Amino acid sequence: MSLTVPLPTEVEEAPSGATVTASETVGVRRGGWFTKIVIIAVVVLWLIPTLGVVITSFRPETLADTTGWWTALAHPFRTSEWTIENYRLALDTGGFENAFLNSLAVAVPSTVMPITIAAFAAYAFSWMEFRGRYVLFVLVVGLLVVPLQMALIPILRLYTGGASIGGVQIFPDLDLTGTLPAVWLAHTAFGLPLAVYLLRNYIGSLPSSIIESAKIDGADHFTIFWRLVVPLSVPALAAFAIFQFLWVWNDFLVAYVFLGGTRDTRVLTIALAGLAGSRGQNWHLLTAAAFITMLLPLLVFFSLQRYFVRGLTAGAVKG
Amino acid sequence: MAIDTEEPTAPPEPGTEESAGRSPARDAVTIGLFALGLVVGAVITWVVLAQALDYMRDRDSNRLLVIGLALALGVGGIFFLFWAMDRLVNMLPRDVSERVRPYVYVGPALVILAVFLIYPVINTIILSFKDNIGQDFVGLDNFKFVFTDPSMLRSIRNTLLWIVLVPLCAVSIGLIFATLADRLRRGEAIAKSLIFLPMAISFVGAAVTWRLVYGFRPEGFGSNVGLLNGIKLGLGQDPVAWLTIRPWNNLLLIVIMIWIQTGFAMVVLSAAIKSIPDEIVEAARIDGASELQVFRHITVPSVLPTIVVVTTYMVINAMKVFDIVYVMGSPEANQTEVIAERMIQWFFLSNNDGRGAAIAVVLFLAVIPVMVWNVRQFRQQEAIR
Amino acid sequence: MRYRRLLAVPAVALLLAAACGGDDDDDDGGAAPSEGQEENTGTVNLMSAGEPEEVEAYQQIFDDLINSETDYDVEIESVGDFEEQFQIRAEGGNLDVAAVPQPGAIPDLVDSGSIVALEDMGFDIDELNDTLGESFVALGEYKGKHYGLPTNINLKSMVWYPKDDFDAAGYTVPETWDDLMALSDQIVADGGTPWCVGFESEGATGWPATDWMEDIMLRTAGPDTYDQWYKHEIPFNDPAVLAAAEQFGDVMFKDGYVLGGAQATPDIAFGDAPLPMFDDPPGCWLHRQASFINANFPEDAEAGVDYDWFQLPPIDQEGTLFGGELTVVGSNRPEVVDFLNRFIAEDVQCEMGGVQASSRISPNVDVGPDCYANDILADASVILTDSLSSGTGRFDASDLMPAEVGSGTFWTGMIDYMRGGPDNAEQVLDQIEDSWPS
Repeated sequence: MSLTVPLPTEVEEAPSGATVTASETVGVRRGGWFTKIVIIAVVVLWLIPTLGVVITSFRPETLADTTGWWTALAHPFRTSEWTIENYRLALDTGGFENAFLNSLAVAVPSTVMPITIAAFAAYAFSWMEFRGRYVLFVLVVGLLVVPLQMALIPILRLYTGGASIGGVQIFPDLDLTGTLPAVWLAHTAFGLPLAVYLLRNYIGSLPSSIIESAKIDGADHFTIFWRLVVPLSVPALAAFAIFQFLWVWNDFLVAYVFLGGTRDTRVLTIALAGLAGSRGQNWHLLTAAAFITMLLPLLVFFSLQRYFVRGLTAGAVKG
Repeated sequence: MAIDTEEPTAPPEPGTEESAGRSPARDAVTIGLFALGLVVGAVITWVVLAQALDYMRDRDSNRLLVIGLALALGVGGIFFLFWAMDRLVNMLPRDVSERVRPYVYVGPALVILAVFLIYPVINTIILSFKDNIGQDFVGLDNFKFVFTDPSMLRSIRNTLLWIVLVPLCAVSIGLIFATLADRLRRGEAIAKSLIFLPMAISFVGAAVTWRLVYGFRPEGFGSNVGLLNGIKLGLGQDPVAWLTIRPWNNLLLIVIMIWIQTGFAMVVLSAAIKSIPDEIVEAARIDGASELQVFRHITVPSVLPTIVVVTTYMVINAMKVFDIVYVMGSPEANQTEVIAERMIQWFFLSNNDGRGAAIAVVLFLAVIPVMVWNVRQFRQQEAIR
Repeated sequence: MRYRRLLAVPAVALLLAAACGGDDDDDDGGAAPSEGQEENTGTVNLMSAGEPEEVEAYQQIFDDLINSETDYDVEIESVGDFEEQFQIRAEGGNLDVAAVPQPGAIPDLVDSGSIVALEDMGFDIDELNDTLGESFVALGEYKGKHYGLPTNINLKSMVWYPKDDFDAAGYTVPETWDDLMALSDQIVADGGTPWCVGFESEGATGWPATDWMEDIMLRTAGPDTYDQWYKHEIPFNDPAVLAAAEQFGDVMFKDGYVLGGAQATPDIAFGDAPLPMFDDPPGCWLHRQASFINANFPEDAEAGVDYDWFQLPPIDQEGTLFGGELTVVGSNRPEVVDFLNRFIAEDVQCEMGGVQASSRISPNVDVGPDCYANDILADASVILTDSLSSGTGRFDASDLMPAEVGSGTFWTGMIDYMRGGPDNAEQVLDQIEDSWPS
């Protein structure tokens, strides 16, 4: 099925006749010096706090507590300045591998489930006509504001005992508490509003001409969705996947309430949270812990970068 | 799956032909069968899920197998569900099916949201009219408290500051950074990853990070390991208890959230910027437009819907901020309270369910203007489309 | 053809529905506890606010002494934000057992039906009184029944000092409050600063100051007035309380008494506060704090050599302030009851006292000082059991007050007091009194 579509013309044309010096054009366009300087400046500013943590995580406890981390930069080659003890202690935390696997077992399904459900809903909100689409959509977006702490107790009650009105069981007693599906469902629910919001925005801004011509060619909604919209929405799907994975991976509260904090079920964030001691004596261990937990999400981010590709729409238009 | 272009029309009933009219009786039968199909489908799904559920909830099951199963069911299963429901809808008469189909697509999301979010919202609203253990009704007492208590009023003032500054800064910086990074020949992925890094640090990590910036120790209690005080000492000045300086400490905390959230804005806006067709931008440049003009007249209008989305999300997030404020010092003593922090304080720490719920309700109401704005933007965009 | 196929479907559906219906009948979760005993699920989950190292050690003890002998397993969870998580579990219906450090939260949970009474589980209160001390067991009493089982106690009226420098300077341990003040004056005269005080603790900033107030209140107004105070039988701004606050102010606001001055105390982390004692020469000489604080001392500091402690002296009378935990139950099951009985039994309690990382003392009167891993705990345990029998010991008042005050306005009121100065005392107490929930 080939789609021939004229270039979208809704965007304003730039005012013509503006005079521009050659050096200005070169400097800003295509990564010239101005661009580079601004980017480096912002990156450095953003990195400074993180640098403090990373450096501290490699310093022995006494030094970390008594001298500023910048002093380590003055003597970078003195071996007494550095240690991997913090990492050793963090990794030595009882059941680290177990907690890591648990985190993975929680995060992966909790990321892909909302995407699937939200993609369909987002498509419907974007390209299907039905009564109440504005109201329902805005309701979904409005649910973003619900603080998750307020939802914990009601959901916990549902999981533990089911719900009934006047003796009629409307939500079965599944005794889900402490099981993985409990957390998946909770995370899916908490992630749906943002997923629907982001995906609808992206899917809705696809050129309508593409959708229209597909309809003219006789494709039904399911086909349009599956064969056209989803491949084109890959950047948005990837973006949301990153956020959801990140949020679930670093989450403490939902995992604790619905899965528990015992040795066999706890996730990585819970296992490492105890490192500092409730009176904060071992705060330096948290620096190592923070770095460790950060690695996987960053890896995910990096690997999904290739989906943020320029000109996805333009390419598909001609195919 | 081959694209089947004759699909949309209902399959012909056995023994009859598609004639000009349809009898109401047959319509009723098809709709009845559709409903039955839904029920049967639901039951079968339930049984399969229950078995899989039992396996997955067993703590001793092999975790990787559980993940695989969850993926199969979660993605494959859900996808199959949609596909099956779509097929069922196809059985209906044409005009009915097109009216029903959108609800089938939106349905699962709505059901999950209804159970997990809407039900707690209703629960909270009811609680807000009750007393501190959620038993007797006290009318509007809790709301009176919300709007008269000095700490609550401070929290409202502070929250306003948060919801203005955080989106403003995070979105502007994110947009500019995304635009500039898009033009880099190399290093774009790294630059973006470094701005994104703060989002990857768990909240606990972020707290430690910023304690190492704002930390203070008075004379004699150890040396100052916080960056700002390190700078002050280096300049020969006395260290300062940054987080206790009222009211500037609010700004210091806001900086933390901006630091974290800009990555989000940047990633989303970057995806949007990348879908602006190259040809338009090149055409404008050939016409002699300066980069600033391209930015103002092409980039921004093209990604405006995304800017609305990101800004909305930032505003709502800023309304809900709690951890940052709670962990960096004592909110009440330092007067850095915000609405969500007050809600947690009252609901969980002072054990007053009624007041906590009332504060949550105020939060729900506060999001309404944002939603209204979204509806307006939504309609405008659709009008252009 | 099509019709027959379709008819087969509802038939299958009915069969499946019947099959499914059977599954939902076994109810083995934590449902409403007041319905009488439920079935054994095989695990007992204990929520604890203890340190992770402590908790790991206790798990080991449970594994050895309990799990190996019974048909159920005890799993102990170390919980961060204890109050929040505890409330979520209790109200969510998912609570097994929790060791609660703030008994003041219990009445509300009893009213909402989340907690089971000890009597309903078959405990004999008289027996408990004999084993654990009546005053302690009485803390869990509400509306005629008992809801909390004492399982841990720690001493709070301790003043720590840098022993080596102290002895070298020729100072002696004071026996009375006046002696303590004279010692402080002496230190000032010698050019030092006597007291190190720090109240910062993130969202809980101010709690160490409430310990000061309680210690002083106990020693000036006496245990009976103290009881009236936390039960709100006298108002918070009663003259007795004001007198205690002013006595507290005498120490805090006196020139040169407190390192950094009273206004700085809300900014100093309570864990950092004792550190100047270990400088050379000591930045300060006296630090009033509960028994856990030595975990924050420098690694190389040796108990009894580099530092030691004495009990906060009496003022108008003797008094001993202690904190601890009451263990509450959310689900009435046979294994839970069995676990509790073993938990308070002498063998388990003695083992737990022997844990090096621990700062817990057992309320079980049969547990002697030789169970404790370090001498500090052993000495403290003697003082505690004596005070319980002589009636001069009292539980931390702020933990017994309603959470709104005890974990809220009392804390912030103390911060205001420190920042506002000595003349502020009355106003602060008035505000706290106003905030007491009716």
